[in-house]
Amino acid sequence: MTAIIEAVDLRKTYMMGKVPVEALRGVSFRVNAGDFIAILGPSGSGKSTLLNLIGALDKPTSGVMRIDGVNVSKLNDARLSVLRLKIGFVFQSFNLIPRLSAKANVELAMSIADMDASRCSRRAVKLLTIVGLKERMGHKPAELSGGQQQRVAIARALANNPKFLLLDEPTGNVDSKTANEIMALIYKLNKENGVSIIMVTHDQKLAGLAKRTINMFDGKIQSDVVN
Amino acid sequence: MRAVNVLSYSFSAIKLRKFRSALTILGVAIGITAIVALLSVTQGLQATITDDLNQGLSANSLIVMPGSSGQGGDSGFSIGIGSSSDSSGFSLYNNYTSQIVSLSPNITGAVAVMQKFGYVESDSLNRSVTIYGVDYATYAEIYGTFVAESGTIPLNPKNDTVIIGSRVSDPRQNGTRFIVPGDEINLLWLNATSFPTVNENCTVQVSGVLDTVGGFGMGGPSDTGVYIPLSSAESFFGTDACDMIIVTLTNTDKATIDSVSSLIREHFENQVLVISADAVQSVVASIISTIELFLGGIAAISLLVAGVSIMNIMIVSLIERTREIGILKALGMKSRTVLLIFLGEAVIIGLIGSIIGIIGGWVLAHGVSWVLSSGLLTGNSGGFAIKPLLTPTVVFVALIFGIGVTVVFALYPAWSASKLKPVDALRHE
Repeated sequence: MTAIIEAVDLRKTYMMGKVPVEALRGVSFRVNAGDFIAILGPSGSGKSTLLNLIGALDKPTSGVMRIDGVNVSKLNDARLSVLRLKIGFVFQSFNLIPRLSAKANVELAMSIADMDASRCSRRAVKLLTIVGLKERMGHKPAELSGGQQQRVAIARALANNPKFLLLDEPTGNVDSKTANEIMALIYKLNKENGVSIIMVTHDQKLAGLAKRTINMFDGKIQSDVVN
Repeated sequence: MRAVNVLSYSFSAIKLRKFRSALTILGVAIGITAIVALLSVTQGLQATITDDLNQGLSANSLIVMPGSSGQGGDSGFSIGIGSSSDSSGFSLYNNYTSQIVSLSPNITGAVAVMQKFGYVESDSLNRSVTIYGVDYATYAEIYGTFVAESGTIPLNPKNDTVIIGSRVSDPRQNGTRFIVPGDEINLLWLNATSFPTVNENCTVQVSGVLDTVGGFGMGGPSDTGVYIPLSSAESFFGTDACDMIIVTLTNTDKATIDSVSSLIREHFENQVLVISADAVQSVVASIISTIELFLGGIAAISLLVAGVSIMNIMIVSLIERTREIGILKALGMKSRTVLLIFLGEAVIIGLIGSIIGIIGGWVLAHGVSWVLSSGLLTGNSGGFAIKPLLTPTVVFVALIFGIGVTVVFALYPAWSASKLKPVDALRHE
């Protein structure tokens, strides 16, 4: 099996003012195509830092981070942007552009990847249909519920056929009924559409859906088990 | 990202902040309005003056005046009206005309002109004029505009004959004539050669009224001139020194003008100035372009102010949109595209502002020219008509300036936006 993500001894140190903080202290793992991984851990365990590295939003202080076979540390700004097109990032706070409609938000991701307008439009409709938002695609984020915004964010993340979907607390900002729907959607995307999924969560129930669970503690992987 | 998508994204950001964007556009528009109005008025002024000079100063004539020409340069001169001698004491005399004619076969004639500022008094009108003493016949030969519109210009005038310019007869240029041929008028002038100075006057009879000439009578016929025979002027003014001698040439070649000019200067041992129509025009053109530069500079400052406010607004907008920039970068947008989106906003604002400014400037220029020509500022003597010229160059300069300033001032904020790291930007609330 080919690894879509390969992390070797990742370390990340931040400066909090003048105090160095070691957020990651030697993290290594591999993710294969088709995987469904839940990353668990208390706050401050380094989950978010790891997520930023997997999403190519940041570079490690040391160690090697390979995404789709490419060493992130060696990429310049422009090539890093190209790599990010292959990653579907779903943020905890959705991070939709408020002034754009649901459909335009999804289209934006594709137009950044230089897709032509008519294809963008067709694909946006298709994706919003998959996530169950066909009827509300003309609405702006403020006119949608938290769960609906989360689905738009998922549709946007899927827009450019990413190598994997990266979700940060996908059920963190929604009620339990919506959480169930989101979980079902994520499960379906992995099972039926073959989308590789990596998600950070506190939710044990959600983690139970994953094929593999990674537990983080104090900047290190405490356990990495296949369910 | 494609250019059209970049622009439409920029535009959506502008639309979101309608009021703020409108104020920024207004700032640009005011600057461009000022520039366009000033440029089109000064260009109109230049066209008007050049036109008037062509009428007042015939191309095949030279004006010889007392005065030192310094290094012998042929374009520098000063115009000392009313002083028949310069500070060195040199004077031109009326009977020098024959000497001048004999200097070169290229000279066809010479006529002496005496002039003084003075006043006309009649039953119905008092106004300031320039009193000229000329020989009617020779003067008319040189200037085709020295023709009577009413009355006659006698070849052998009497001592108290006078010909008046059209604005002396009809100051408002609306057909109401205050003085007509046959009227008696009183001429007053100041005799500055005696001490203390005294006002002198005499009564003369109007024989003819000139056609409207327009322009500035640089030696040539003027609408505000009063023309008395040269012999009368000699006795009225108590001198036979003239203020200028107008020399006519066989042709208008630059070589002829230059050679005759230097012959005349040499003859009078560099104590005279020789002015050609060409030289006057180039001096006027350079004066106007200086004025243009000065006024344009002031207008440009207002545009700079607009530029600074654009920078301010872009920086505020950048801070507000830090998170959005983080999202765009996380989605895979290149730094260069982020830069282009911000610059795109500046270009759109600059373009809209410039177009509004060009229209506003054109309207303002016409307003200014209307005020000038209506005579509201110059009192009853009628205005000075400038037709504003909105040349393609002015439009082009305005567009380049308007867009250029906005883009230059947006560069720094746009560049900072493009340099934001996605992790930091996304953490921004």
